[in-house]
Amino acid sequence: MSAANVANESSLHPGGFHASAPRGISRRQALLGIVGLGGTITGLAAPALGSEHPEHPVAAPDAVSMLYDNTICTGCKACMPACNEANGLPPDTLQTGGLWDMPADLNSKTKNIIKLYQEPEGPSFAYVKRQCMHCLDPACVTGCPFGSLKKSDFGAVTWNSSLCIGCRYCEVACPFDVPKFEWDKWNPKIVKCEFCYDRLQKNEQPACTAVCPTGAVIFGKRTDLLAQGKERVAAAPGKYFENRVYGEHEAGGTQVLYLSNVAFSKIGLPTLGSSSLGHYATKVTAVIYKWLSGPMLVAGLFGVVIKKNWNRHEAEGAEKEKETGLREQL
Amino acid sequence: MSSPITNAQANPAQAGRGEIGSRDAVGSTLINHWQRGVPVYREPVVTPSLIFFGVLAVLGLVLAAVRFFSPLGPFSGMNDAYAWGIWKTFNVMTLTALGSGPLAVGIAAWVFNRRKLHVVMRTALVSGFLFYATGLFALGFDVGRPWNFYSFVLPWRWNGESAMLEISICMPLYCAVFLLFENLPLILERYYYTGTDQTQAVLRGIAPFLRKIYPFVIVGAYVLPLMHQSSLGGLLLLAGNKINPLWQTPFLPLLYLLAAGLCGLGFVIFLLLVAGLRYSRPLDLDVLGELGNLLSCACFLFLAVRAGDLLWRGQVHAAFAFDDMSVLFLVETALVLIPAFVLRMKTARETPRTMLKMATLACLGGMFYRFIPTTIAFIPAHRARYFPALPEVLMAIGYISLGIVGFALAVKYFAVLPGDIKDWNHMFRSAPWRRPMAQAGPSGQPVQSGKSDFEGEPRWPVSLSTR
Repeated sequence: MSAANVANESSLHPGGFHASAPRGISRRQALLGIVGLGGTITGLAAPALGSEHPEHPVAAPDAVSMLYDNTICTGCKACMPACNEANGLPPDTLQTGGLWDMPADLNSKTKNIIKLYQEPEGPSFAYVKRQCMHCLDPACVTGCPFGSLKKSDFGAVTWNSSLCIGCRYCEVACPFDVPKFEWDKWNPKIVKCEFCYDRLQKNEQPACTAVCPTGAVIFGKRTDLLAQGKERVAAAPGKYFENRVYGEHEAGGTQVLYLSNVAFSKIGLPTLGSSSLGHYATKVTAVIYKWLSGPMLVAGLFGVVIKKNWNRHEAEGAEKEKETGLREQL
Repeated sequence: MSSPITNAQANPAQAGRGEIGSRDAVGSTLINHWQRGVPVYREPVVTPSLIFFGVLAVLGLVLAAVRFFSPLGPFSGMNDAYAWGIWKTFNVMTLTALGSGPLAVGIAAWVFNRRKLHVVMRTALVSGFLFYATGLFALGFDVGRPWNFYSFVLPWRWNGESAMLEISICMPLYCAVFLLFENLPLILERYYYTGTDQTQAVLRGIAPFLRKIYPFVIVGAYVLPLMHQSSLGGLLLLAGNKINPLWQTPFLPLLYLLAAGLCGLGFVIFLLLVAGLRYSRPLDLDVLGELGNLLSCACFLFLAVRAGDLLWRGQVHAAFAFDDMSVLFLVETALVLIPAFVLRMKTARETPRTMLKMATLACLGGMFYRFIPTTIAFIPAHRARYFPALPEVLMAIGYISLGIVGFALAVKYFAVLPGDIKDWNHMFRSAPWRRPMAQAGPSGQPVQSGKSDFEGEPRWPVSLSTR
């Protein structure tokens, strides 16, 4: 707008509170306001920003692991009461009329379960032990708004009751359907295997691996157990499904590793790509929201244009007011 | 229902059926009537439909109150596989798209300078506020551990990469600060015209301040919803291949935003036409046509990104596989495609009946797009099913009814719906608990009292003080 227009505008508003100052100042005020607004938000958000998600995360040096081999498991379920005892979980007696612990699946009373898969035809069957996979880049941790779920020491994914708002995004995000919610409690918790984090800190192994009588599930460093799993595969080609260790690459890699003699999908282990979900979900937003540059850029552009249109709108409103005697509404 | 709209179509002379329109000596009631917000008057506040929705709202609120002292289980059909029910997926993720009118119309009016649209901003703002407020209300009774939500004021606890964090901070902030501020003028305006001299003096004092900060606040009012409406789509990215590939795409945030834009525009058209019908308001097809034009553009933009995304990911074959998901996709696309093409025709934009149909289709299409990936096309690893439980449905209906009651009251007590300038004399009915001041100037006479934001406007007309 030209200077003539500015003068014209001002003359429409004797004693008006807007547009009576020279335009240069109002534009500078606009910019200052935008920078101020953006700066405030950035200052608030800055501490929380900055984490990165590589597509193929690398395990931390202290990452511990579980290796489960369903050709060794006898289905004795010793790990289940051991888990309940270590975690103070009640028995799930829904299916047994209150007599003994027999959960149908992982649930809010069950962090660890042995399940049986039976071929529809033929006598062959396979066991599977299910618990949290302790992903290298867990989707639940990426989604958790206030950091209640986090990747703790040893790579254990732990839950903090004092930060959880109960939004259940972890349940939506987890590709393995692991976190469970206490639907029947007024003060509900998220229930999931935490790798017996308190035992790890005491230099003990998790209850399930400690109690396993056959060595179907063993505890160790992830690098060691991954190598051991690959050795078993190499020693008996054709024994294991796809001749590979499940969990080496799934969803960016998990700390719980599986060897199976039947298809992974048959024993409830989902078919997943090798890139981390956190990478997929944040690769674009991480750029846009880096130091909130995207929103601030938009705010800056909008601010300049809106201020210009605002001044014009006010001038027109004042003109109309002369005609009608009514002030322009906002 | 034989509507005033169709009557006006058939015979402009009868337009308005003895209501506002028939007093118009200038011309057709369908052209350029909307100049400012005018409250609905000559209508009882308490109507059978208001009581009906009021009862539903009270029922929902009572259930919500009981829910607060009860576990979630008995109140919902949610389970560990479908951990999000309709409170999140419908009341928030779907309905706030309809509540994006302030964003869509606001950006068109203030950024792209579509000046005709300023007059419908209040309709968009009030409906948008109610959609957001009731959605957030639903959210408050959906989360399991709301007492921990105080973390939102402790930035060091924020997980900055979580779309859920972005939403849980951005949405309440937008609703409670920015939308409320944008709605402030129409609330204060009422208090100005019905208030005492002291009230008026106070409001006269703060009006210039409000006008001064207004343009800066609306910048935030557009940037924040751009952020959280796209983050609602971003939420679904982490669900990965639980969501059918027709909907799971890195473009989810952008498509969610575009769907919000078209739903926002569509719902403002829908609301203006329905309210015009309900309260026998003459329509302004110039303004509605402009909105229809923008709606058509928004539909095309949405479809272009949707089609481009399917091509890019090589999922076109899945779209035409004619299985369940493909049919769902085709229905959803058709709902957006039809208004996109029909509203390109000028005759369609000049026919209120067609506009109403097309706006409804576009809203449905956008809602389909927002809802399907959260529930219908969401297939968890373990076989499970979700169907909302009765209390869950009643609460969801209750929140929506609360919004409807809020809007029905707002249009009668505040100058929300656009109307003709000569109806200004009949403004503002008194609240039952506060009679208007009798010391107001004579009806229609401008009161010259100092410099004011509302200078020269007539005060409350005494003749209407009993209404």
